[in-house]
Amino acid sequence: MVMQILLGPQSPAPNLRQAIESIQADGPIVTITAGWRDSEGEVEELREIAGHPLEDLMLYQRTEQVFANEPALYELQRERQEKLKELQRLYRIRLAPTITAARRLLRTRAEADLLKLEQRAAIAQLRALDTHHLRRIQTIHQDFNQRRAGLEAPQASAQRDEVHQLVKNAGLVLIAGGHVAVLLNRIRLFGLDQLLALKPVIAWSAGAMAMSDRIVLFHQAAPQGKRDAELLDAGLGIVRKRVLLPHADTRLDWRNHKRMALFSRRFSPATCCTLDNGSVLHLDDGKIVAAKDSFIVTRTGRKRAVSTV
Amino acid sequence: MNPQIENLYRDGEPSEVTIREFLQSSQFPLTEPGHVTFVFQGQADEVNLRRWISGFNTSLPMQTLEGTDLWILRMELPNKSRFEYKFELVRGGNRELVLDKLNKVVAHDPFGANSVCQGYGYKRPAWTRHHPETRPGTLTGFQMYSQAFEGHRDIQVYLPARFRRSRSYPLLVVHDGADYLRYANFETVLNNLIHRLEIPAMIVAMTQSPDRLVEYTGDTRQARFIGEELLQEMNSKFPLIDNHRSRGLMGASLGGVASLHTARQYPKRFGQLLLQSGSFAFSDLGKHQKGPIFDPVVRFVNEYRKNPIPVAEKLYVSCGIYESLIYENRSLVPLLQAQGMQVNFEEARDAHNWENWRDRLRNGLSWLFPGPLWMVYE
Repeated sequence: MVMQILLGPQSPAPNLRQAIESIQADGPIVTITAGWRDSEGEVEELREIAGHPLEDLMLYQRTEQVFANEPALYELQRERQEKLKELQRLYRIRLAPTITAARRLLRTRAEADLLKLEQRAAIAQLRALDTHHLRRIQTIHQDFNQRRAGLEAPQASAQRDEVHQLVKNAGLVLIAGGHVAVLLNRIRLFGLDQLLALKPVIAWSAGAMAMSDRIVLFHQAAPQGKRDAELLDAGLGIVRKRVLLPHADTRLDWRNHKRMALFSRRFSPATCCTLDNGSVLHLDDGKIVAAKDSFIVTRTGRKRAVSTV
Repeated sequence: MNPQIENLYRDGEPSEVTIREFLQSSQFPLTEPGHVTFVFQGQADEVNLRRWISGFNTSLPMQTLEGTDLWILRMELPNKSRFEYKFELVRGGNRELVLDKLNKVVAHDPFGANSVCQGYGYKRPAWTRHHPETRPGTLTGFQMYSQAFEGHRDIQVYLPARFRRSRSYPLLVVHDGADYLRYANFETVLNNLIHRLEIPAMIVAMTQSPDRLVEYTGDTRQARFIGEELLQEMNSKFPLIDNHRSRGLMGASLGGVASLHTARQYPKRFGQLLLQSGSFAFSDLGKHQKGPIFDPVVRFVNEYRKNPIPVAEKLYVSCGIYESLIYENRSLVPLLQAQGMQVNFEEARDAHNWENWRDRLRNGLSWLFPGPLWMVYE
């Protein structure tokens, strides 16, 4: 049995220390703060919050060093990122009309039987688009992995071995929030996906998002107006069938039940779980066994406490 | 008549106690959808409302309320509008401008203070107020010698929270920076917008001219000071991203003119321009009527209108619809767009004042410098 704990943002009231104490780690604690990018490794404040010694894996900086010395690998990575960026742009072009249609159908009035089927079909189209997008992303990752396997990259291999050893020796891995795409990318570059699945992990905000099998970007209160939620990538898949929503209190428009209902139904059968400051989800082998201050978005766009079934 | 005033007369002429209770329990000016009612209590021969609204009759007489020492004036005001005002008291032939003692909302500017009328539905944006969870940046400063001005200039510098010398930051240069700090809560706004990830952590250089009526009116010394000397100095002192897209220049009123003029002198040196209620006076025919201070402004704007060029990548232009400059700003926008620049023009139900400029900062800065909020979940 492997214990994972997912938390919300650690500000203003951190709850990381309680989470660490509940795990009773058998070995040193290592941190992944690659999502902080060039502030990676500045863990003094985190040490204070955690109340334990921490060692950062420095995935972001290690990657920068590797790329500086392994130009072929850097070029491969750059090419992948360009493709992913372009694919996301194309996805957005298709997403806008598809989601607009679904939203309009959820708002319009018509004979109930007629309307229900059209609404279902519109949401199914939206799901199909997300699934298609995810498949395309996977193809790009597979291509990258195949080409990378054929590359001689001794520095990358050495760094990877070193990081793997640190993780193997660790009793607990903490994954901090930050830039979710960078965080996920660095974890993958070091091939930590499978290793992390076997370790006790505490992850919060973007760290928690990266643990799931679907990463959804969202913000309905952005200064330049509401933006439709987008599927970014698959995540590590350690937590399955959960869309994790940090800062849900401020980022989601809870007063707009129709919008929230569509959000929930679009990602079904996955359950959308909020992770705000103070939230805790305890998972055992990926299943939720205890929850505090975390809510799911219901089919009708409302909040309901996460059940621990 | 305003319903609260009507209510005052429900049982006939109000007693002193009723009036006192009314004054203590109401918020002034009295607002209702589409209207506002000003109330003044006191003895005078005449009381006038002086509105700082351009393009309207700015002095409106108030009427006495029968059997009381109250003066009132009810006027139309679109919801969420805002303007500044004072009462003009006429006593024994003397005229005196005073703040509205019944209204606690006061706006300050370099010329003093005015009472603020907030129309029905106006709410001061939360991001303009101190938030206890926001990590504050720091203000520092330095003095530099300007060859253009042959003298020293003080620069105030805002450094974002968690500033690191090892990182590189975008740079925003601000005309009338000290005024933005004092009257537009600029430091709080920057702290909040950065904390909310709506703009990236950035370094802000704030300049303040000792003679803005000359230096901000299309003065090539000012352009050289900002476009060459200050940039060089900032680059030598702070870790800045060396790319024009990560460099912005902003200002309000004549500060807007100075920003556009500098950008015209040094095209594309600043990728982002934020121009608030710019005093872009011009003349199509004959001599302008704005006074000699505007001669160089009109020369510059006329010249730019005649020979427009792209000066930046993106411009956020805002202006209040209760200021006469709305005409000049509306005229400028299509000209800027025609040069292939991205222009975001915002009209506000507000006037020529610092709080108008404060309230537009979120829209302007987050459009010019989009923050990482879409990808970052801390």
